[in-house]
Amino acid sequence: MTSANDLFSALAMNPAVILFVGATLGALIPNGYAALRRPLMLVFTAAAGLKLSTLGLGEYGRLAFFGEPALMLRIDRMARLFAVVFLIAAALNIVYGWRLRDRLQDFATLAYPAAALGGVLAGDLVTLFVWWEIAAIASVFLVFGPGARATVLAGMRYLTIQVLSGVLLLAGLVLVFRETGSIAFGEIGLRDGAGAVKLSGLFVLLAFGIKAAFPLLHNWVQDAYPKANFAGTIVLSVFTTKLAVASLARAFPGTPELIGIGVVMTLFPIFFALIENDLKKVLCYSINNQVGFMVIGIGYGTAASINGAVGYAFSNIIFESLLFMAVGAAVYRTGTSKATELGGLYRTMPLTMAFCLVGALSISAFPGFAGFATKGLLIGAAGEAHDLFIWLAMLFASAGVLEHAGIKIPYFTFFAHDSGKRPKEAPPEMLLAMGASAALSIAIGVYPEPLYALTPYPEALADYDPYAPYHVVEQLQLLLWAVLAFAALILVKWYPAEVASTNLDTDWLYRVPGRGILGWAAAATRAVWGLAWRLFSGRFLAAMERVYAVHGPEGALARSWPTGYMALATALVLGVALILAFVA
Amino acid sequence: MTEDNSIEKGRTGGWADRKSFRRGFLALLVIAALAAAAAGFVPAFQNKNPHFAVERYGVFFAIYGFVAFAFIVLAGQHLRKLVGRKEDYYDERE
Repeated sequence: MTSANDLFSALAMNPAVILFVGATLGALIPNGYAALRRPLMLVFTAAAGLKLSTLGLGEYGRLAFFGEPALMLRIDRMARLFAVVFLIAAALNIVYGWRLRDRLQDFATLAYPAAALGGVLAGDLVTLFVWWEIAAIASVFLVFGPGARATVLAGMRYLTIQVLSGVLLLAGLVLVFRETGSIAFGEIGLRDGAGAVKLSGLFVLLAFGIKAAFPLLHNWVQDAYPKANFAGTIVLSVFTTKLAVASLARAFPGTPELIGIGVVMTLFPIFFALIENDLKKVLCYSINNQVGFMVIGIGYGTAASINGAVGYAFSNIIFESLLFMAVGAAVYRTGTSKATELGGLYRTMPLTMAFCLVGALSISAFPGFAGFATKGLLIGAAGEAHDLFIWLAMLFASAGVLEHAGIKIPYFTFFAHDSGKRPKEAPPEMLLAMGASAALSIAIGVYPEPLYALTPYPEALADYDPYAPYHVVEQLQLLLWAVLAFAALILVKWYPAEVASTNLDTDWLYRVPGRGILGWAAAATRAVWGLAWRLFSGRFLAAMERVYAVHGPEGALARSWPTGYMALATALVLGVALILAFVA
Repeated sequence: MTEDNSIEKGRTGGWADRKSFRRGFLALLVIAALAAAAAGFVPAFQNKNPHFAVERYGVFFAIYGFVAFAFIVLAGQHLRKLVGRKEDYYDERE
């Protein structure tokens, strides 16, 4: 039995709880002292990092939920890698939005990373579920942030989908418990020993798949993330999908279905990103594409490919945030993220442009930048397995990454046609956050060993050298010739001009026909109710009058109220019993 | 949010718009791309244990990168015809 003391000490030592307390205390600061919020949030992030470091690897906070052993805090190598990068990202996000003065958004900026951190550190499925739901609820405040009708509608759609993921996880954990008799969060797998799909595995995989934005389940990212403000989008871009990646890596390593899912994830966003005019949405498609690479690595499930997947997640959080920050700075200064309305900003925002280029080079996996350090492990996994078509698809997707994230983002924001806009350079705190992200992106690229040491299976990387001459040459060939293709297409004017448009994606299904069906169902229900009321209201009212006459204050059975009440209750129970007997 | 924005109507050419920069950048790109392709034929830069036969062709990655990029752009833009709608498409429906 868990005592209140055990529970308190388990909570107090949890870095995620420390972050959450920081978020709550920050939210309690009166608006007159709002400038103190972000410094306080930064202090609590540092405190959570310190706690993580002093605890070290191990299992803490063993409790019992209804007699079942629960493990609220498991710091193994996998959890530690994600915890470290989540804390770095949280700190950078706090700095980036330093001048925001919004109680709810400030709260979400720390409570949401706290929930994601709690999720990756969870040792049992119940704890995971609790943090999973807190992440959904805390993050929606970022979507609601700007407060316009469109953002509120998008926020409600986002919350519905996130809660659906939570419900599936809850169903999955109940099924896992029924199968195994344990709520421990370990490898679950999709299939049983005989190769049949397990319902428990399917539910949990779907829950994780929604948050990882699997194909057809992906569009909440493009729908919700760009609706947040310049700082909120960046916070959103980091945590949910990577919590899902961490969860997939723990529960479904070596699940072959994930390879196919991952390949589709890497490919389809390339084409949607190409035609998308809103650069924030382009980056959202980029999230889908990047998570696809990680999902493939998890699908192969070898020590090297798992290292590649989670190591790539670590780097991706840094450089994808950097790209979001650069576009966010342009939005902050110009009020738009549309490619048709941007361009030529390099003249007055040179530092933001330079940082954006570092992000672009990193995500494209140019040698010397973060993406290169681990991407080879993922593509190499397909090589090791001799899956030629998967390998070719991943190379193809790499050229696609270069197109939409490596070239399109910096080109249409800072170069391309001159929009005539001459905004000031980004504010110092944004430059600081972008500068730190850029420095980290280069550091990981140039000296990846500390990242390799953080991976779950560092021994599998003992002989891995990303800078093997052949690997550098192959990568440079792929990327430089792809850039050459871009230059050639621009020169012959075959590169398509950006067009101000809305591109339909899977969200259309629930935003247009789904909404129509719902509207029709509501109208039909109202009509049926109205008809029923017209048909039966006379008889119902007459019956009620009769009951009132007998049981009411003047009624024969009300002279002694217990008798009258008993008579009515008996009549009701007998009626129900009669109906049940008839049905049975 | 846009309080610091100032829009200058007169358009002045920046360093990236100068022809000399564009030519120089293109020349550098072509030289680097050719050098990378040439390196693919140097034994010291070749993969000794390739997983697939195509890796043995010195310029496989260069050709694949060029073709893949061109295909994505040239074929991908037609997707707009299928899914592209007016910018206020959802505003009218929600």
